[in-house]
Amino acid sequence: MGRAAKLSGAEIVVAELKSEGVEVAFGIPGGVLLDLYDTLYKEAATAEGAETEGGLRHILMRHEQCAAHAADGYARVSGKTGVCIATSGPGATNLVTGLANANMDSAPVVALTGQVPTSAIGSNAFQEASTFTITMPVTKHNFLATRTEDLPKIIHNAFYIANTGRKGVVLIDLPKDVLAERAEVNLHPRETFAGYKPNIKPNRVQTKKAAEVLANAERPLILAGGGVVSSDASEELRRLAEFLGAPVVTTLLGKGAIPESHPFCLGMAGMHGRLYANRALNECDALLAVGTRFSDRLTGWQLDQFAPDATLIHVDLDAAEINKNIQVDIPIVGDARLALVDIIKWLEKVAKVWGKRSESVWVQRIRKMHSACEECVKDVWGEGSSVSERLIKEINRVLDDDAILVTEVGQCQMFAAHFYMTRKPRTFVTSGGLGTMGFGFPAAIGAKVAAPDKKVVDIAGDGSFLMTCQDLATCVENDIPVVVCVFDNRFLGMVRQWQELFFEKKYSHTGLGLTPDFVKLAEAFGCYGERVEKPEELEAALKNAFESGKPAVLDLVVGKEDKILPMIPPGGGVVGMIGAERCRRI
Amino acid sequence: MQTHIISLLVEDHPGVLTRMSGMFTTRGINIASLTVSPCEKEGLSRMTIAIEGSESELEKVRKQISNLIEVVKVVDLKAGGQGRGNGGGEAIVRDLCLLRVHAKDSEARSAVMQLAESYGAKIVDAALDSVTLELTEEPERVSRFVDLMRHFGVKQLFRTGVTAIGRERD
Repeated sequence: MGRAAKLSGAEIVVAELKSEGVEVAFGIPGGVLLDLYDTLYKEAATAEGAETEGGLRHILMRHEQCAAHAADGYARVSGKTGVCIATSGPGATNLVTGLANANMDSAPVVALTGQVPTSAIGSNAFQEASTFTITMPVTKHNFLATRTEDLPKIIHNAFYIANTGRKGVVLIDLPKDVLAERAEVNLHPRETFAGYKPNIKPNRVQTKKAAEVLANAERPLILAGGGVVSSDASEELRRLAEFLGAPVVTTLLGKGAIPESHPFCLGMAGMHGRLYANRALNECDALLAVGTRFSDRLTGWQLDQFAPDATLIHVDLDAAEINKNIQVDIPIVGDARLALVDIIKWLEKVAKVWGKRSESVWVQRIRKMHSACEECVKDVWGEGSSVSERLIKEINRVLDDDAILVTEVGQCQMFAAHFYMTRKPRTFVTSGGLGTMGFGFPAAIGAKVAAPDKKVVDIAGDGSFLMTCQDLATCVENDIPVVVCVFDNRFLGMVRQWQELFFEKKYSHTGLGLTPDFVKLAEAFGCYGERVEKPEELEAALKNAFESGKPAVLDLVVGKEDKILPMIPPGGGVVGMIGAERCRRI
Repeated sequence: MQTHIISLLVEDHPGVLTRMSGMFTTRGINIASLTVSPCEKEGLSRMTIAIEGSESELEKVRKQISNLIEVVKVVDLKAGGQGRGNGGGEAIVRDLCLLRVHAKDSEARSAVMQLAESYGAKIVDAALDSVTLELTEEPERVSRFVDLMRHFGVKQLFRTGVTAIGRERD
């Protein structure tokens, strides 16, 4: 508890943000936020003199949705809480998509929104919207601050709630008068809410049971979700997989939990996953699922085909996820890393597992499956590869291990998920649960701000990119050189693919016509732009883009009717993928 | 199908009820009744929620409710049976009903009053052609009483929804 001081609400907000370790906020000002932005102005002036040490950087975005996505991307790459700011009414409603996206994927974000003065709330005042009720279902928690003196406790708890337990979004709605008025407050309180005690320590009886099942399994398998990445459990995951002789398949958000070049990694499972990842799910006799909620994009629609022979062990921080989508045999509520540590400890006690398993029939089979996939990814120019596929394979070859790949949503995303071999955790950023077109580019901005020394590439479709491309201005003005690779097929590709496969090629409203010229669009913003007609030209174009030092847009011409296959058709299960003929038989 | 009663202690400030009812809508849960009232602790309110559904549905509801930040305590109370978890015991469950019945003639009036007496209902108001009754009882018994009264013609019916308290064990 700090000493009492008389401060304005806005000053309290800025002081508490800094005390929570916030270094950057993505936002757009507005009428009711003038007090807050006035404080940020003074803050910037002070920080300039003091060489920005401990200062709070504000990045002016061009659309509030992008502010939320940027905070989301920043959070996923850094592990720290991302912060976005929007004004009342339209500012706040524009933010909603981004908040829903972050919350669905359990990314820690704190959103600050302006609100009309408390005396005007409910009067349909200018730029009034009930942000508090609108954002309730898309946040982990939200606050409507009604008194200046409540701000320290609210802000501290917003950050505590956002970045503990199952992470998520917390919004604070700040009426104008609450920001303007002065109050005597004790800064930096540590008091929390009685109703929020995140349970992160797994039950030892359950982890022991899990270890016993895994030790006795002939064909154990680990399914790694986003929870492994967000709890920084990659090292434990790799150790357990190697100790047990268990292959790892991942969810979309689990990509990067283990290097995909690891001989035990079979890549992503699910609707657009790898054939062998799904096969392994079908064949395993014990499944350890860690930090995943068994979304329908993973399980398919035939739940009886999902790991039918396996004893299911489910580790998740959120008790409400246990038995929600899939009935499991051994539930473990707790942090992914702590649970894996416990399971490894038990295994070391009870089992002489490793020696026995290292070359079991199962492990040999997994090695074959892994090399088949790896060879496919390395075979850029082989027959049967579409242009889209070749481009992703080239990007996979050219980028270094630390580069961060961000994606939009749709075919481009699934090509990336399928053919890009993620090497490290927090280097593959994508919109999983909500599937938000327009997420990738602003999230890439956040990623680049979090990791300025790393290359950041956004894999975009022409449909997605046009939804948020106005923030090229933000990149240029703030010197944030991200590289956008537009997979340009002049179609809303994924919907078109479904129309081709399941609606007799009736392309209802999926054709995008001829506009825009993406190179000119880039140049209009002062970015580097280049058109890539053939995949062979991509490596040079990427080099040009990185060397330009500017934000860049590469317009990659892809096959108009490229399809991402194999896939689980609608209504299907993890067996019975279509379009898998090209995968080598094992 | 079974009726489950969940008793909650929640923070007493604006928005809690919206959050609670919003959660039910979001998760596709139907609730039979919901009551909110002050409780013995300052700054907290008590909510009593009745849900009809299977044991597994109840489990999902319980977990989602527990996830809400403003929910301080969750207790399952089972009507007439054993409660589970967090010190829940066999519950005492009550529903308050106010009911206005037609009483057109003295025959109807005396029949209504006789039935009311046997159910322990109080006559709280009377007019020339109607009687207003109050009954506080277990919900099933209230329902039976209301069904009987329908025979005479119910003009208006008000029920508060259930409230419940766990039984203390010595």
